[in-house]
Amino acid sequence: MSQLVGAIISFAFYQTVIRTTTPLLLATLGGLIADLSGALNVALEGQMLIGCLTAVIVSVYTPWYVAVLAALLVGGLLGLLMAFFALKMRADIILVGFAINILASGGTVFVLALATGGDKGTSINLQSKAVPAIDLGFLDAIPGIGPILTGLFSGHSVLSWVAALLVIGIWYFLYRTPWGLWLRGVGEYPAAPEAAGIPVNAVRTWSLLFSGALAGLGGAQLAMFNFVGFTRDMTAGRGFIALGAVLLGARHPVGALLAALLFGAFDGLTTILPGLFDWVPPEIIHMTPFIVTILALVLFSIRAQRLLALRGAH
Amino acid sequence: MSTEVERVKPMGRWTEFRREAGRSLIAVVIALVVAFVVIFLTSKAPLDALSTLLTAPLGRPRTIGLWIDDAAKLTVTGLAFSLVFQARQFSMGVQGQVYIGGLFATYVAVSPIGQTWLGIPLGILAAMVAGGIYGFLPGIAKARLGANEIVSSLMLNYIAIDIVNYLVRVQLGAPGMLYTAPFPTTSVFPALVPNTRIDLGLIFAIIAVLAVWFALYRTSWGLKLRLVGHNARFAAYAGIRSSFIMVSAMTASGALGGLLGSMFVQGQIFGKLNVLFEGNLAFEGILVAIVARSRPLAVPFVALAYGYLRQGAQLMNIRTDVPAEVIGIVTALIIILVSSTFKFPGKSFFARLLGIRPSVPLSATAGEARQ
Repeated sequence: MSQLVGAIISFAFYQTVIRTTTPLLLATLGGLIADLSGALNVALEGQMLIGCLTAVIVSVYTPWYVAVLAALLVGGLLGLLMAFFALKMRADIILVGFAINILASGGTVFVLALATGGDKGTSINLQSKAVPAIDLGFLDAIPGIGPILTGLFSGHSVLSWVAALLVIGIWYFLYRTPWGLWLRGVGEYPAAPEAAGIPVNAVRTWSLLFSGALAGLGGAQLAMFNFVGFTRDMTAGRGFIALGAVLLGARHPVGALLAALLFGAFDGLTTILPGLFDWVPPEIIHMTPFIVTILALVLFSIRAQRLLALRGAH
Repeated sequence: MSTEVERVKPMGRWTEFRREAGRSLIAVVIALVVAFVVIFLTSKAPLDALSTLLTAPLGRPRTIGLWIDDAAKLTVTGLAFSLVFQARQFSMGVQGQVYIGGLFATYVAVSPIGQTWLGIPLGILAAMVAGGIYGFLPGIAKARLGANEIVSSLMLNYIAIDIVNYLVRVQLGAPGMLYTAPFPTTSVFPALVPNTRIDLGLIFAIIAVLAVWFALYRTSWGLKLRLVGHNARFAAYAGIRSSFIMVSAMTASGALGGLLGSMFVQGQIFGKLNVLFEGNLAFEGILVAIVARSRPLAVPFVALAYGYLRQGAQLMNIRTDVPAEVIGIVTALIIILVSSTFKFPGKSFFARLLGIRPSVPLSATAGEARQ
């Protein structure tokens, strides 16, 4: 047990958690935006997966930041596609979302096979690039707390910093700008903003676009930092876990950050546990994030019901 | 009560059927054209690939067997999705139910019971009960706590796969093997046509179609279920306990998922428990249910057509340079087109050609009900 405690309270584990949290956090923020606008984005998983592949293939030919932008753009386009079919063509948004997931799981393998010349498993023979880590080693020079600051802030992916800033940015947007109010109003009770002359469908379209773009960005982090390269179905349910994290985070950006950190920590544990405890079956470790999501969902639902009951009592 | 339902359908049954079938056909044609374009752009021998895709499943008795077997399984997953879709629940847990059902059928088959004639009926029963319980869980979580059934059922899918992987590795499988020993012949569905994969599972699929049709359209439970799905608020005013209907629909759908699990492990296709035996077939039920408009009697026909396409794609994958995954594009497009109110250029012209009356499609009203 002391081994486990020692391994968890270390900068190495902390770094792992930040790394595993980042794609989840980006997808969770995407899910949050869509959810607050009243549209459940079940396509996060597919948008992330397509983002992964786009990032990998584009990075073979261009600098890393172009690849990241491409993943962002593709995710956004998929969000726009969802908005078009769900809002304009009146398809059920959940079915459109699952159609995108199906397109992603088949389509990525198809494109991967074309890009690699027949390999359907991994992009191992593509020379894809990685997102650089930001080195803040100069903080070491600060007397006393220098090494701690380095351990905390140095060596994270550029996108981890982007995700952290996005939490603040999205909080500011949602609670301090009129557009944020529009978005929350559209999700809460669409008839009222409609009557006030707010373009409900335009707000939802922008939310879905932004939501998809964030999921694509999460895919870029996954395929260009956590792993360098694409493997079939590499998102492995992260997009669906993000849906649970939105609810667990009480539909608030800071809550989303905490929920994503929780799942990131469990994801991080799955990478260090096998080395420490070989008696724990890998399948059990693998299924923990999913069990945690269900428990989180149930706890959130119980709390939401209590809140409702309280409101009803007053 | 029945008059209420009649009022929901203002059109004649055949007019509606023709219009729905026409829409589905057009969607399929558009999706196939897109797939053809993709094949033409990416393949070195596109015509070979196309002709394989469209004709190969009929080539040999063996490939016809693969097609029919696939269609039987697609029918059952399509029915499972149809049941929950008709109640307007989006439980996505069929995959997990298939694994759990397969697991429990395996426990029956490898026990001493498996060596008697009880191996098949008890195996199916165990699978259906286990699948039903697995479908009940997200249902009760939603009814009691309001927990989102999409997220919980998806998580249960991943958990079921890990449970089966673990048990096969440490308990059921031979050491180092990712599958169990073959089941005794008394526990394996006998082949209906020798030397093909067409087995007893086909009969169960047909029984399942009739059972689901009867339950939905000839029982009061089915009427309530469709009312809850069509307009939950109206159903509540009519005194229907919608949470009971919701949970029972998800449980029944879970039992169908479990049946599918037993059709996999006890069928000619495996006759043993393999890890990942389901091969992502369960989720194809979404397409089958959507195109069949969640009507049980239409499900087997859609399953036959879609199963043909899937087999064609597999054979194209083996014999030509086009990967089978191209079919994912077709699937996604069909789901999007059929579930939306798409219009295609020259619609009125085609409408006259096909004798379809222009009118507001059903999905438009369904979409409004959700908003």
